Amino acid sequence: MFAQAFFVAVFGLAAIGFGVAVFSTASMVRSALALLFSQTAVGCMFLALQTEFLGVLQIMMMATEMSIMAIFMVMFMMDPGGLGGMDMTHQKRFSLGAGVLAGGTAVAVALLADWGPVTAQAPDAAMQTRALGMELLGRSMMIFETAGVTILTAMIAATAVAIPVHTLAGNGDKGASE
Amino acid sequence: MNFAVVLLALLGSVWVLAVVEGWTTTGHLRPAAPLLSGLAHLGRESIVPRTPDRVFFEAAPVLLLIVAVLGAAVLPLAPTLVIADLATGALFINAALAYVLVALIMGGWGPNGAYAMIGGWRFLGQLIAYSMLIVMPITAAAMRAESLLNSAIVTSQAGLWNIVYQPLGFVLFFIAATALAFRSPFDLPTAAGELAGGVEAEYTGARLAVLRLARLVLVITLASATTVFYLGGWHGPLLPPWAWSLVKTLTVSSSMLLAGHHLPRIREADLLGWCWKLGIPLALLNIFVVGLLVLVVP
Repeated sequence: MFAQAFFVAVFGLAAIGFGVAVFSTASMVRSALALLFSQTAVGCMFLALQTEFLGVLQIMMMATEMSIMAIFMVMFMMDPGGLGGMDMTHQKRFSLGAGVLAGGTAVAVALLADWGPVTAQAPDAAMQTRALGMELLGRSMMIFETAGVTILTAMIAATAVAIPVHTLAGNGDKGASE
Repeated sequence: MNFAVVLLALLGSVWVLAVVEGWTTTGHLRPAAPLLSGLAHLGRESIVPRTPDRVFFEAAPVLLLIVAVLGAAVLPLAPTLVIADLATGALFINAALAYVLVALIMGGWGPNGAYAMIGGWRFLGQLIAYSMLIVMPITAAAMRAESLLNSAIVTSQAGLWNIVYQPLGFVLFFIAATALAFRSPFDLPTAAGELAGGVEAEYTGARLAVLRLARLVLVITLASATTVFYLGGWHGPLLPPWAWSLVKTLTVSSSMLLAGHHLPRIREADLLGWCWKLGIPLALLNIFVVGLLVLVVP
């Protein structure tokens, strides 16, 4: 129990530390990868809390997502390497207030909410995976399938919008280079 | 105990692979060459480029080595010879190998050099091509075993190996694994001919030695994964289980090398096109066929 609490705390602090690094660095790639390692630390918290499937899934998904985000940040920001000393922060006073308020609310909810009876013994990892599968393909199937198809539709639509119209006529590379 | 044995097996396999690589490249069979080459790297000056991103530059080779070993940690060599037989093992190996991308991006960005950076970002493009072809064939193997336990996936192949049960999945997984290990013909991130080594371009001395070691461990891990998911793992007659795992792993890793020697390097855009227009539909077809077989065949 002590070891569990210890590791949850360590990974929690690591997540916060990397989260701070996201905004304290001027390099876009550092910023994106700090966010990645912050999310990886959250995944490790899941592992410490004996939710193996969620932990491994979180650790896996974030690696590719944040790496792809990194290249977009490099492409679209004016100072991707952070060598120009660009300041990433703005509206400091408002952000500070909003951050303190949101953090305080989260802590208050964590402390004051009635979380119900705590499970004494978590089911083993294989049972959890099975139960999650049953949930996803049973009661919650409509919600997840609807969300999945909606995201896929948005992705296809965004790609279709991004392609210049004349390439659809079959000009291929010639059209793209014009 | 298991930890030490698996690490030893991993190192031994890396040595054999390095000897085979040297043999096929130079034509001379020199068993001591990998060791001498490693020692020579350690003796050389390890140069740090001007204004690097020092954290990324130093961390990338080590991270690549760690994720390759973590991937190997969940792959069983024999029924009881595995470092951690996780209940989510088949998912965990995906998670570990996803960080190969992170290591290469860090290694590409860190040295502050154009060739290295292009190599690193190229691997991101390569991931968009191969990643679905890693995940979907593993999904099909897990479907047959009805479990994400890697040992259960091997046990499910006791009667018939997955390479026979779902040959399409094997072909796709083998190709994708070669791309994930950035071996020829998918070695665009390090393309020696045009990027002067790409991600490896700015690394020298001990750092380069770690990077090369990590890459060889990665190839062995992926060959071991191919063995576990598609070649029946430890199953085989006469020899003890661990010996079969090693023989199969070394055969797969050597065949990855040999295939690379005889194929032209594929262009990034072509790889993406082939993978998305042909590979993913075939992988989905494989999942569909396996689903039918699991439901219909008792």
